[in-house]
Amino acid sequence: MKTLLIACLAALPVLGAPQQFQLNLDAVAAKSSQHVDVFLNASTLQLAAKFLDGDDPDEAKVRKLIEGIEGIYVRHYNFKSAGTWTQADLEPIRAQLRGPEWSKIVGVTRTEEGGSTEVWLRLAGNKSIGVAIIATDPKEVTVVNIAGNINLKALAELGGHFGVPKVKPAEKPKKEE
Amino acid sequence: MLTEAVETGCDFRALVRQHQATVFSIALHFLRDRATAEEVAQEVFFSLHRNLHQIETPAHAAAWLRKVAVQRSIDEGRRRSRRPQVALADVAEPAACIRPGDPLLSELLRKLVATLPEAPRMVMVLRYQEDLEPAEIAAALEMPVATVKSHLQRSLALLREKLARCGVGESGWTG
Amino acid sequence: MDWLEDELRRALAREEPPVGFAKRVIARSARGPSGARRWLAAAAMVVVAVGAAGAWRQHQGYQTKQELMLALRLASAPMHRVQLEVKDISQ
Repeated sequence: MKTLLIACLAALPVLGAPQQFQLNLDAVAAKSSQHVDVFLNASTLQLAAKFLDGDDPDEAKVRKLIEGIEGIYVRHYNFKSAGTWTQADLEPIRAQLRGPEWSKIVGVTRTEEGGSTEVWLRLAGNKSIGVAIIATDPKEVTVVNIAGNINLKALAELGGHFGVPKVKPAEKPKKEE
Repeated sequence: MLTEAVETGCDFRALVRQHQATVFSIALHFLRDRATAEEVAQEVFFSLHRNLHQIETPAHAAAWLRKVAVQRSIDEGRRRSRRPQVALADVAEPAACIRPGDPLLSELLRKLVATLPEAPRMVMVLRYQEDLEPAEIAAALEMPVATVKSHLQRSLALLREKLARCGVGESGWTG
Repeated sequence: MDWLEDELRRALAREEPPVGFAKRVIARSARGPSGARRWLAAAAMVVVAVGAAGAWRQHQGYQTKQELMLALRLASAPMHRVQLEVKDISQ
């Protein structure tokens, strides 16, 4: 199993909000061909923010986006073939999100292509203090926790707009008659 | 690092020259404003310059540029969306009927495409400017293939209807 | 082939940008804001000139920024997709 692990914890003291649920996905990790972990707490976010280029429109958007957040925790997995992971593998996550402090605000299931996206908000009174995202495709699983207050619309609009979208030129499909 | 561009064949200058028409035209046909399209196209290439080290092959660069041009054009379109937009119904029909092959027909079609909502408009641009298949358009716009096909069908039907009022249609086409 | 599609291809054919576009873009990019490559080159020079502690912080900061961008890319992609899908349904 090829593992690409990016963690950013070791040298920095743990300050600010830790993740709001355990991203315990050992079952998924064991089946994956590649996985990426990114764990950024408040202090690492502050450090990263200092190196954002305010003259770059994308990085300026990122700086604004992360103003209210206290941590970003991401686990992303790739699989060699479809059918490797199952819904049961995600149950440890969903079980935690069924708690009273979480509310599901989006649930999209793609029956034709397979896969789904769920977005959950963690609420304290009327205030959103966290987001959980579970995004799946037949060969990918991504689980995200963002602790703090984030503008979901701005996050959505950022999608693919910065950095390098992972666009590989696809095989040209046969021309339709 | 600096030799990466040479090794992958991704020379920035060459990429600008090779793809400037594509990037500019996506913005132009989507936004219908040459000055804005030029600004958007410049931004796309500046972004490429910043991220060139992550481009793997010339083909990757082409797909990347197309996708970023689409995204930036859509963003710019949204920024301008507060200004009054011409609705499809309000595009004036020409006083005299246009014949197929008439340059006025091209201009009319460009105007009509520009009045489509954001998603079908970009679908039409990618289909007829870039000659992309629905699956490729779906990948570029991160939308289902079925949605792309639906946008194409509905947009073509709308355009046919509009053009038919001027007698431009299958019955008037002798070519 | 359908006449309307032919006409659309003609109408939406690629156009060249204004004269001098490529030259302007290339010139401005050469002077433009720092990209990742310049960050790496600057970091390499700092290691030599400034000293280990400062250079380590610079490198760490750059690495952390890259990780932030990666995290946001992974988080924003599904949100963007859902945004498009919900918009399609409502249109």
